Amino acid sequence: MQIKPILSALRRHKAGTVLIALQIALTLAIVCNALYIIHQRLAHIAEPTGVDEPNLFAMANLWGEQYTKEQAAAKVQQDLATLRQLPSVADATPTDGYPLRGGGWDNFITMKPDQTAKTTDASVYVGDEHFLRTLGLKLIAGRDFNAGEVQNMGLRESTIPPVTIISKTLADRLFPNGDALGKSFYSMSSTPTTIIGIVDTLHRQDVSTWSAPYTGQSLIWPLRLAQPLGVFYVVRAKPGQLADAMREAPKALYAENRMRMFPAKDGLVNYQQIREEAFERDRGMAILMGIICAVLLAITAAGIVGLTSFWVGQRRRQIGVRRALGATHRDILHYFLTENLLISLGGIAIGTLLAFGLNLWLVKTFSLGFLPLTYVLGGMVTLVLLGQGAVFAPALRASRVPPIEATRPA
Amino acid sequence: MYAYYLQLGLRSLRRNPMLTALMMMAIGFGVAASMITYSVFRAVSDDPIPNKSSQLFAPQIDSWGPQQNEKGEPPGALNYVDAMALMRAHKASRQTLIYPVMLSALGRDADSVPSSASGYAVTGDFFPMFEVPFLYGSGWNTSEDDHRAADVVLTKEFNQRMFGGANSVGKEIVLGGNAYRIVGVAQHWNPAPRFYAVWGEDGFSESPDFYVLLNRMLDLHVDSSGRNSCRGNLAFTGWDQWLQSNCVWLMPWVELNTRSDAEQYRQFLTSYAADQQHAGRFGWPANIRLLDVMAFMTQQNVVPPESRISLIVALCFFVICLVNTIGLLLAKFMRRAGEIGVRRALGATRREIYTQYLLEAASVGIAGGVLGLLLTAVGMSGVSLLFDQEIAQLAHLDLSLVALTLLVSVLAAVAAAFYPAWRAAQVQPAWQLKSN
Amino acid sequence: MLKMTHLSKVYRTEVVETYALRDFNIDVKEGEFVAVTGPSGSGKTTFLTIAGLLETFTGGEYHLDGIEVSQLDDNARSKIRNEKIGFIFQAFNLIPDLNVFDNVEVPLRYRGMKAAERKERIMNALDRVGLASRAKHYPAELSGGQQQRVAIARALAGTPRLLLADEPTGNLDTQMARGVLELLEEIHREGATIVMVTHDPELAARAQRNVHIIDGQVVDLAEDPRFHTAYTAAAGQIRG
Repeated sequence: MQIKPILSALRRHKAGTVLIALQIALTLAIVCNALYIIHQRLAHIAEPTGVDEPNLFAMANLWGEQYTKEQAAAKVQQDLATLRQLPSVADATPTDGYPLRGGGWDNFITMKPDQTAKTTDASVYVGDEHFLRTLGLKLIAGRDFNAGEVQNMGLRESTIPPVTIISKTLADRLFPNGDALGKSFYSMSSTPTTIIGIVDTLHRQDVSTWSAPYTGQSLIWPLRLAQPLGVFYVVRAKPGQLADAMREAPKALYAENRMRMFPAKDGLVNYQQIREEAFERDRGMAILMGIICAVLLAITAAGIVGLTSFWVGQRRRQIGVRRALGATHRDILHYFLTENLLISLGGIAIGTLLAFGLNLWLVKTFSLGFLPLTYVLGGMVTLVLLGQGAVFAPALRASRVPPIEATRPA
Repeated sequence: MYAYYLQLGLRSLRRNPMLTALMMMAIGFGVAASMITYSVFRAVSDDPIPNKSSQLFAPQIDSWGPQQNEKGEPPGALNYVDAMALMRAHKASRQTLIYPVMLSALGRDADSVPSSASGYAVTGDFFPMFEVPFLYGSGWNTSEDDHRAADVVLTKEFNQRMFGGANSVGKEIVLGGNAYRIVGVAQHWNPAPRFYAVWGEDGFSESPDFYVLLNRMLDLHVDSSGRNSCRGNLAFTGWDQWLQSNCVWLMPWVELNTRSDAEQYRQFLTSYAADQQHAGRFGWPANIRLLDVMAFMTQQNVVPPESRISLIVALCFFVICLVNTIGLLLAKFMRRAGEIGVRRALGATRREIYTQYLLEAASVGIAGGVLGLLLTAVGMSGVSLLFDQEIAQLAHLDLSLVALTLLVSVLAAVAAAFYPAWRAAQVQPAWQLKSN
Repeated sequence: MLKMTHLSKVYRTEVVETYALRDFNIDVKEGEFVAVTGPSGSGKTTFLTIAGLLETFTGGEYHLDGIEVSQLDDNARSKIRNEKIGFIFQAFNLIPDLNVFDNVEVPLRYRGMKAAERKERIMNALDRVGLASRAKHYPAELSGGQQQRVAIARALAGTPRLLLADEPTGNLDTQMARGVLELLEEIHREGATIVMVTHDPELAARAQRNVHIIDGQVVDLAEDPRFHTAYTAAAGQIRG
């Protein structure tokens, strides 16, 4: 197929050619970035928490009365005993939060006591010696807390325990040589805390973009919250008994002491609900971008079909003449496919620039990641196939124009 | 004459139902995507208190210093020491301090389990400066703040829950185990975003239950249920030491009615911060901000990035739909070049041809707008799938959005038709009906 | 009524300049019925498009109804076309989307006439051509002769002073052609000026006066030897 005559024909249809090319260019720019946003959001949703999600649930337990530190500590101990005795419950721990809770407690980490700029940031979990077992965390080095290490933490006490267990991600961040165990660091305190254990994966409490640079960086301290406001309980049900445990737990706690509250929002939630809540925005974005991509591709395809049909209609006589002069069906079909390919390539060239331009702007404004080349390549292939697919039907119609058209009056 | 053009336009649209449907869909989908995302964006970026947003300011003082502040910006809230100093100085016509609290509330039935009630610890100026509307009673006088009285204002919703909606002013209510005197019941009032408490909150949650006297809360050591942000090494071992720490958790607001008032207050903040430097409390020069409501909303990134990105992507989508429409209109108009030639021969001026085709496009715009409106309505019911529940609830299809949808559709269609109609009007008067 | 003096029309392409009309002179008096003949490519149609203000010309003067038209802008030309000139095309040029009534209405619409007057004129015009009963029909539902009569009704409805016809019977069979011609003669008798381009000598003979164009110029038929050979050849080609 000769390209020169096609180009000269396109030159006579400048406006239409430019419009199709422009549409392809803009579509490429949007689709690449939208797909990348979808990918990022889905990747975020897919991040592992490291906990035994199918069997876990959490309870935000707020006290109905103003307790002192000692009272609150006793109440927590009593509650834990009650929870652990339930037939459907495997274990329970008091804590300040759980992975994917959103927000939560996080501390700056420094390597020296007098260091002002932070080395990094870690999500802070507190719990008793049951914390690792309850959450189902995998200890890959060192040891678990023992009961003697657990201290009570009252209202606005900045207690920094001497020992900590940290996530592997944090360990690797602080000690890239892999020798974190036994080493110490500082966390907003002049007294160090020593790493006695490392767990495989422990997601942060926060899920927002702010946390992204610190993904997976968590530490656990052996502290039992004894505060007037309340405490979180994370409970692990025996396999297959999650529903039973979630029914029994609040009943048992109320029976023991009714002066407490489980707020509607997070008073009693399993991981399915926690995930839904945590990734609501991400899922929404992925769905919206997905819809926009799909409709956009459909509209672009429809636009190409529309304009090409018009061109075919306009050139019936010309096509008839070509046919009369010996062009085969295949020749005509190829003519239109090649014509579309040329326009698509032009559009894609501009579109690639636009895609990276839009991405740069999104990176600058919304700290989106840099668009990988594969997305643009994928987008190019998609649009070329889309264009060829869209042009096929009108081109086929063109190839069926009978040579007799040539003799009809214009 | 316009009626004639419109009639011609509709006739022509009926003749190419596929092409017309395609253009309607392009405009419909484009406008619907834009309107749905715009409705959410509008909901989250609206001025929450239009009457006074330029007279209400959030003073910020950098108590963390250049090495620990937020990229040069002072923290969005104050620590206890600075907050109290501002209150004592009383350099604004009205001023308040706010922090969120969570307390238990016992129902009228003595055997019932307590329910959680969330509210804000505030000072007396809170009510007049934010123009909180009252159903019964009123806010408390600022002298009550000094008396550290156990005063509380309930919201209409909470009053409904606790007192069945009756006038409860003068009655007692037990919150967190302590008794409070109800001085007022506020009308439903929940500005979105809840500007006065956006530091540490997303700003779009449900209405609080009560507003309670701040000094009383401090006396009872009622902890903040919201954000608390600290820097450096923390050495506090309890409430009183915490109050003296660099932890920020109190949100200050001042009302400054004129530009010069604001300027004077800014100078006051600067000199306060400079004094702290001289006193050795701050090891850095004064770094203060005095932002009004909308500027503070911007600084605190109240609009979720999701709603901004969606709006931008939707608008880009709309632009592509318009490019598509330009192409289709061009095809459609140029296919009728012969007819245009005849009309020109029969005496139609360029302007008449131009107007005719613009009006035809406008009618496509109206049809696309109606489709867009339907899609918007359908989409609005699905907004909760795409955005946070709390934000999705705020977005709604009202009359102004309906009007905007139709207007944007028509304008977009007409804008898309400028070039095709111009090309149509360039067709020479024809002696022969030719296909090209 | 229609007077062209030393008029020329040049088509320029990148390579050559082609004179479609050269030193073209014609004077058609009010109320005349003139037939313009000439071989294919002689410039008949160019003459007619310029006469009908569909195209501009390169040099010379053209007075239409006493107005020198070369300086008029597009709007003014549109207005003159609309009010003074009626067109009858060989290919009828009816708008396929519009029914008979609406087709006849087109020029009246652009004149900004009131609905009642438009309707009266349209029905009168359709009456004249005997198609009043077909007002609601679409062009595709009519025979060629009927279509041409609609086109004539459209030309008549605006009561033009000058009627320009390009091979008005070219696409019609003999019987239909005769009907159309009788209609034109009748219109002429009522006072309209008619300029008709045709290659049909029989048709041309029915006009009051014949003007011959060869190579873009009006020639005296009797004196120009070029005419005989060229005309015969062209006529033969077309008929063949």
